[in-house]
Amino acid sequence: MTTVAVTGILVVLLMVAGCVGEQSSNSSTSPSQQITVIGSTTVLPIAEQAREAFEARDASADIMVSGGGSGAGVKSAGEGTADIGMSSRDLKSTETTSYPDLVKHHIADDAILLVVNPANSVESLTLDEVRGIYNGTYTNWNQVGGSDRQIVVVGRDSASGTREFFSEFVMDGEDFIRTQEEFNSNGGIQQKVSQTPGALGYVGLGYTDGVKPLALNVNGADVEPTLKNITDGTYPISRPLYMLTNGEPEGLAQRYLEFIMSAEGQEIVASEDYIPLRG
Amino acid sequence: MAKGCDIRARCQSIGWPRDYGSTEVSRPAGGTSRQFVDRAVGKLLFCAALAAIVAVFFIIVFLLRDGYQIVLETGLWNFLTGMNWNPTGQNPSYGVFPLITGTLLVMALAMVIAVPLSIGSAVFIAEIASPGMKSIIKPAIELLAGIPSVVYGFFGLILLTDWIRVVFDQPSGSSWLAGSILLAIMAIPTITSVAEDAISSVPREFKEGSLALGATHWQTIRRVIVPGALSGISAAIILGMGRAIGETMAVLMVTGNAAIIPDPITNVFSPVRTLTGTLGIEMGEVAFGSTHYHALFGVAVVLLFITLAINSVARVIITRIQGTQGTARSAPSGRVVTAIRGFVPYRALTAAASRITHATSAPFGRLLPPRVSQRCAFLLISLSVAIVIAALGVILFEIVVNGAGAISWEFLTGSPRDLGRAGGIFPAIVGTFYLVGGALAVALPLGIATAIYLIEYTADTPLTRSIRAAVDLLNGTPSIVFGLFGFAFLVLFMGFGVSLIAGQITLGLMILPTIIRTTEEALRSIPGSLREGSYALGATKWQTIWRVVLPPALPGILTGAILSIGRAAGETAPIMFTAAIFSSRFLPSSLTEPVMALPYHLFVLTTTVPGAATQSYGTAFVLLMLVLTIYLAAILVRRRYSQATVM
Repeated sequence: MTTVAVTGILVVLLMVAGCVGEQSSNSSTSPSQQITVIGSTTVLPIAEQAREAFEARDASADIMVSGGGSGAGVKSAGEGTADIGMSSRDLKSTETTSYPDLVKHHIADDAILLVVNPANSVESLTLDEVRGIYNGTYTNWNQVGGSDRQIVVVGRDSASGTREFFSEFVMDGEDFIRTQEEFNSNGGIQQKVSQTPGALGYVGLGYTDGVKPLALNVNGADVEPTLKNITDGTYPISRPLYMLTNGEPEGLAQRYLEFIMSAEGQEIVASEDYIPLRG
Repeated sequence: MAKGCDIRARCQSIGWPRDYGSTEVSRPAGGTSRQFVDRAVGKLLFCAALAAIVAVFFIIVFLLRDGYQIVLETGLWNFLTGMNWNPTGQNPSYGVFPLITGTLLVMALAMVIAVPLSIGSAVFIAEIASPGMKSIIKPAIELLAGIPSVVYGFFGLILLTDWIRVVFDQPSGSSWLAGSILLAIMAIPTITSVAEDAISSVPREFKEGSLALGATHWQTIRRVIVPGALSGISAAIILGMGRAIGETMAVLMVTGNAAIIPDPITNVFSPVRTLTGTLGIEMGEVAFGSTHYHALFGVAVVLLFITLAINSVARVIITRIQGTQGTARSAPSGRVVTAIRGFVPYRALTAAASRITHATSAPFGRLLPPRVSQRCAFLLISLSVAIVIAALGVILFEIVVNGAGAISWEFLTGSPRDLGRAGGIFPAIVGTFYLVGGALAVALPLGIATAIYLIEYTADTPLTRSIRAAVDLLNGTPSIVFGLFGFAFLVLFMGFGVSLIAGQITLGLMILPTIIRTTEEALRSIPGSLREGSYALGATKWQTIWRVVLPPALPGILTGAILSIGRAAGETAPIMFTAAIFSSRFLPSSLTEPVMALPYHLFVLTTTVPGAATQSYGTAFVLLMLVLTIYLAAILVRRRYSQATVM
């Protein structure tokens, strides 16, 4: 019995050793013109479109783009498993402690739109009303100028950068109503709101098919969430998007980031319904 | 096994089989080398069987490594019984009680829906359907298993929740009920396939004997065939529960994910949040190393323990059933069983188990004449098949109608452009092949070897019990937890990075328990007399297994492999953090490069890329066709083998 057990452990060890050996020999031969970009699904469309335009010019570049979320983006960039991380939120204190060398590159802004079902007669809300709905003070649309219909509160998951921003900007840190339905993507919220007459949700600028964006009532005047209003800051709900590198970027990563910051790159940002950097 | 050796020893003691002529000369040498092979093979199989334990050990270690801090921070009791899950509030709270309740409620209702339908379908396929009908319905139900969970989720989000909202006049359709219906549809093929194998492997003599005694077909099914297959059916239900409790991507898209306990507790229209859903929606964005991050690993550990608890209860039931059946009316064997018998809830559990298996028959028991009750029962059984096939039809119709239009030569052979809104999905198709192939290369040899070791080589020892427990635990381990483990262990700790091999190993571990379970069931259904005959002719243990036991067990093993392919090809959660990337111009040239994969591509298209509905349906269509092709090939192989063994 003992000999059998020992043999077993040896075999497992050998297998593990074999895998490790193979790994180290392979990684040294990977081409230098290859980078991976991992992280926030909110930033992903920009990274992906920029990759396509960049590769069209530089045929030797091989850029691989993947989602996974802001947390994965920070972690991958910090650990070096990816060359560039994408994040739709600022770094947390735990992250700046673990990865002190991370460099933030502000590449664009993202507006957050309040959306309702097209059948809803409400056209605009004040920030106070929005907060009242999300904290449970208002539960029926007739309390905020609509018809008699129960409000279905829809939001992002509690780890989402979008929700964190929303929570700080709109909620003043107040807790959300506990019956809030949570989705982990803009697409999920868009789909939900488009088929639920009583729903209220928040999404990025590009997710308005089948839903009705609300104007925001600021000091008695309705502000439509148009590109112009968002860019000049009249429409107040927008937040920065980041790409992260461990130390200052070099080589392909540097050229790729420079491309995104260039006029051509910022055109891509606008065409994907994000807000280009001002100036 | 013990019996076989016995007989062989006895045969040898009376000098049989006799050796004649030349064989007599060569015999000693051949004998020792054969014995050597025999012993070496035994050891090799033993090592393979340990793999399950090693995997479970590593998973637990890596989950605890990141999860124990939350207990230090909030206290175990507060973590488990806290009523509020609000990790990002002003005063963060990490109470998982609503999540635990949500998980149990969704799973329980799903099983209430799935078990009668599945067993009805299994009985229909095995006993009632004509051969022609069987050859259509069986693969059709297996095909349900191949539909990726992302597609189910998408389908659920678009059609099911809306249907619930309108039909039941609710403000929102995202609910406990929606989650349970979706999970039931996803668990049905697993339960049906394994239960059908169990029913089909009840010896024909039993059935013939019962019919010869004048019993009707239905009486035979109810009193002889189903009870005879009960251990296989129980295994099927446990596999189904494993699927249901572990499902992430589909559930999180339809349950609404509000961390509340339904009020009242029977309100099936309330939104709920499951433990897996919490991991699925929060893991990607959370800051690594934060309290929230540790809380999520704590959730994963809780999930694992719930799985363990459910499996333990289920194992007790199976042991009990096997105890009363196998050795018939003799006293129940084993101290454990006797001890457990004293427990009050145990009686309730077995009663529930037997009630479930007799669900369709109960109302007709003694009230109706046999012919009428048979007709009623068959009607109900046919109805259950009709419901399952209808569910398949609706989903297929939705995908084919919306997806076929997107298919073009460029779509199949090109690389994606404009975020997947244009161009093709060729790299994703190839990547999926690589991932599934690699997963099978990892899991098939390990799984079959483990099953052979468990069934053929050992009696019931503490070691085999722990191997079985490890396999059960792996089976119940949610795919998202495999994903977390793959990321923490393979990607970061082993330094593989996001790579093909990390995804292959993660997927391989995920399908390992399915392969072990179905192979075990297949081996168990081979009559002991075949083995004894082989031993009696002087064959060694390995020769017996290789030449006599494995060939007739092959169709069953293939069924397991088919189910696994479907699962591996369609899973998103395990590859999301380990292997998949959204886009790459080039196909991977080594195992250390990441790949595109169809389910992940579909997930990103449906959730992140606006205006890509056509392409996502197209991707779902291609994924479905791909799985269908694999299934067809495997079903053809299985049919050939089963014909060969009959002859």
